[in-house]
Amino acid sequence: MVDIDLSQPPFTLLDDRGRERVVRGVDLLYFRRDEIILEAGQPGEFVYIIHKGEVAELDPHAPSEQARIAHYTAGDLFGAISILKGTSRYRFKVEQESLCYLMPKALFERLCDDYPTFAEFFRRGLAQKTRLLAERRIASGVNMAGFMLARVSECMRAPLIVDAATTIAAAVARLNESHADSLLVGKDGRFGVVTKTDLLDALVTAGATQASPVVAIAHFELIATGSDQYLFEALVQMTRHRVARVVVVEEGRPVGVVELTDVLSHFSSRSYMVGLELEQADDLEALARASARLPGLVQTLMAQGVKLRFVMDLLAALNGRIVDKAYQFLIEPRYRAQSCLLVMGSEGRGEQILKTDQDNALIVADDSDWPDRALAMQRFTETLYTLGYPPCPGNIMVSNPAWVDSESGWLRTVSRWVERRDGASLMNLAIMLDARGVAGDTRLLDRLREHLFASCSRDELLLSYLARAALHFAAPLTLFGTLKKPRHGIDIKKGGIFPIVQGVRTLALECRITATSTLARLEALAGKGRLEADFAADLGEALALFIELRLKQQLTQLDGRQNSEEPNLVVVQNLSSLERDLLRQALHIVKDFQQRLTHRFHLEY
Amino acid sequence: MIRSLRRAADRRRQGHGRYDWLFSPYLGDELVAIDCETTGLDTRTAELVSIAAVRLEGERVMTSGSLDLRLRPPASLRGDSIKIHRLRGVDLNDGDELGDALEKFLDFIGNRPLLGWCIDYDLAVIDRQLRPLFDFGLPNPCVDVARLYRREMHRMRPQLEPAMSFERVAETLEVPVMGRHTALGDAVTTALMYIRLKQGALAAG
Repeated sequence: MVDIDLSQPPFTLLDDRGRERVVRGVDLLYFRRDEIILEAGQPGEFVYIIHKGEVAELDPHAPSEQARIAHYTAGDLFGAISILKGTSRYRFKVEQESLCYLMPKALFERLCDDYPTFAEFFRRGLAQKTRLLAERRIASGVNMAGFMLARVSECMRAPLIVDAATTIAAAVARLNESHADSLLVGKDGRFGVVTKTDLLDALVTAGATQASPVVAIAHFELIATGSDQYLFEALVQMTRHRVARVVVVEEGRPVGVVELTDVLSHFSSRSYMVGLELEQADDLEALARASARLPGLVQTLMAQGVKLRFVMDLLAALNGRIVDKAYQFLIEPRYRAQSCLLVMGSEGRGEQILKTDQDNALIVADDSDWPDRALAMQRFTETLYTLGYPPCPGNIMVSNPAWVDSESGWLRTVSRWVERRDGASLMNLAIMLDARGVAGDTRLLDRLREHLFASCSRDELLLSYLARAALHFAAPLTLFGTLKKPRHGIDIKKGGIFPIVQGVRTLALECRITATSTLARLEALAGKGRLEADFAADLGEALALFIELRLKQQLTQLDGRQNSEEPNLVVVQNLSSLERDLLRQALHIVKDFQQRLTHRFHLEY
Repeated sequence: MIRSLRRAADRRRQGHGRYDWLFSPYLGDELVAIDCETTGLDTRTAELVSIAAVRLEGERVMTSGSLDLRLRPPASLRGDSIKIHRLRGVDLNDGDELGDALEKFLDFIGNRPLLGWCIDYDLAVIDRQLRPLFDFGLPNPCVDVARLYRREMHRMRPQLEPAMSFERVAETLEVPVMGRHTALGDAVTTALMYIRLKQGALAAG
């Protein structure tokens, strides 16, 4: 009788018979505290699955504070790699009395032979393991049902109705004005639909003029649906009649139009809709409404298993548009043309998912004449606040005069930072390196960045200072499982995100890479041969995992399910054993990266 | 006392029979934890439903090579005991004949010392069934883990009156209870309890 949990990977990769073999083939063994289960260099004889207790993986050759490689607790598995490689690389020592299941080497090897996917699991890199996690999330597929049950009324938009006298020119104007693809023409109580394609055909092929009445090209045999129909029925109708829209008719009158793109974007979590709403927003209130829908969008996208990288890209684009729009509403065009609004920090890297603090700055052209600039910037900061971007606690905002300057002023500031290279200057440089222009004349930023590269990228000492910051926090591998107070956790921002971001930023500066997002920088670094492609991919995957874990915490907070005020703290005990395994592996990669940085920038002492 | 006299008599009678090796003293360091599910609690009438045994090699419980036998449904199998061990008549229809099962059991345990939770009860039931068929009772030395626990508790924490239920003891010793009221599950749990006691779990706590 063996009470072993086989519902987690890698055992899910076996079939029932395979699992039965595991259950029949394992022994139980108690280990005392401080006992060494497997010594480094010793051949692996068993795969260990912890039923209860805690085991540390130690590197016996490393100095004591860096010796700890990983920590295993209930449900975790270790020793498999030692069997595959022949000998154990590290020492496994019992931290807390442990009851382990022992799977003999022979059984493990036979299982590996019989189940290739099972064997594959142990050879895989982090990238594949995260995919496994994503697959599992999709498998829980809540959203598919949500789509199937959506009604037409949730997705339709108000119809654009014109009268029979409207000319083609006027119709086109109306279409452009309201960002629509089709309109309805009313004639004698009947309605016909005119699409952009129809207009194009009429003008180009049929030789109609701009003054021709639009009613002549309208189709009066409408494909109609009711507003309480299921959305997928509308989709079926469109497919059957090979059209891209259906008209929602109630009591003989059209009350809405459902476009194919709308249905598809409803399916793909309404990302398109939010984008559309953003584009159509013509005052701050509408913008605020669209902006408030972003967290929900993130939630659905994540639940659908969309890769975090794409979610980040989409969100960065949307956030950029919001800031740009707000800037447009508040600042007159002539001032816009002579300034460049920068977003910096995580927003500049496009790595903030939910809205974080506003980190922004302004470059103004040298010849600009802008009398009440300070006041305008003050208002801009306040506006962003109403749009849901909390103010930056470090006061890195355009409302702070220190972050608004002329182009030549900025050049001098950057040079001063490079010269001073104390803690605050280095931080400012790092912030500036991530700057991305979102509104105004972005050439101003390009020139500033050129200057940054010119003054920093060859400065070995400065680079080593920047790299040192990435080593400041050791990867928190020690904390696994040994947490005495259950509410403490691993600070993944300090221990995971920051070292990667800072290290990659430093390397990017060295290689003069203009991309600001860490993932894009990693790709560029791999492209230039500065990092091996595999390692760069693993780093990116590790970063995505940390961000995802943090995002999950933020989302649960959003739902009010959890009241932890610190989203960066990940409580290890709350993770599934696969997630724990991934986190452990990701932190290993961070540690590896830190070692490479140490080596590259000579930070050994 | 009576047991050892009986054992001496059994031994002489077995002489050089098929099972004489069971009577020779055991020289290895293995133990066997046993447990059985029965049709009742009265040792004079209860019949065996299932028997399980698992070897201990030092601190390792050899669950991979354990013995888990189910017997043909005995006549006295009734609802009240089914509620406990959850083996119904139909579950046992392809079970072993009593004689075959006991033979397998004897071959498995050999002359190793036995462990059990309130082992006297199991022994009494097994012996009662063994005697008519094989003409001897189990000669193995036995350790009653319940009694061992009580003694250890008395030694380490004399001021406490120990709670002696199986589950409470498992909790005190921090042993997971596996498959309660299945013969093999209880045997494994008992084995773990024994290891924990030998490791000095009470002293540490």
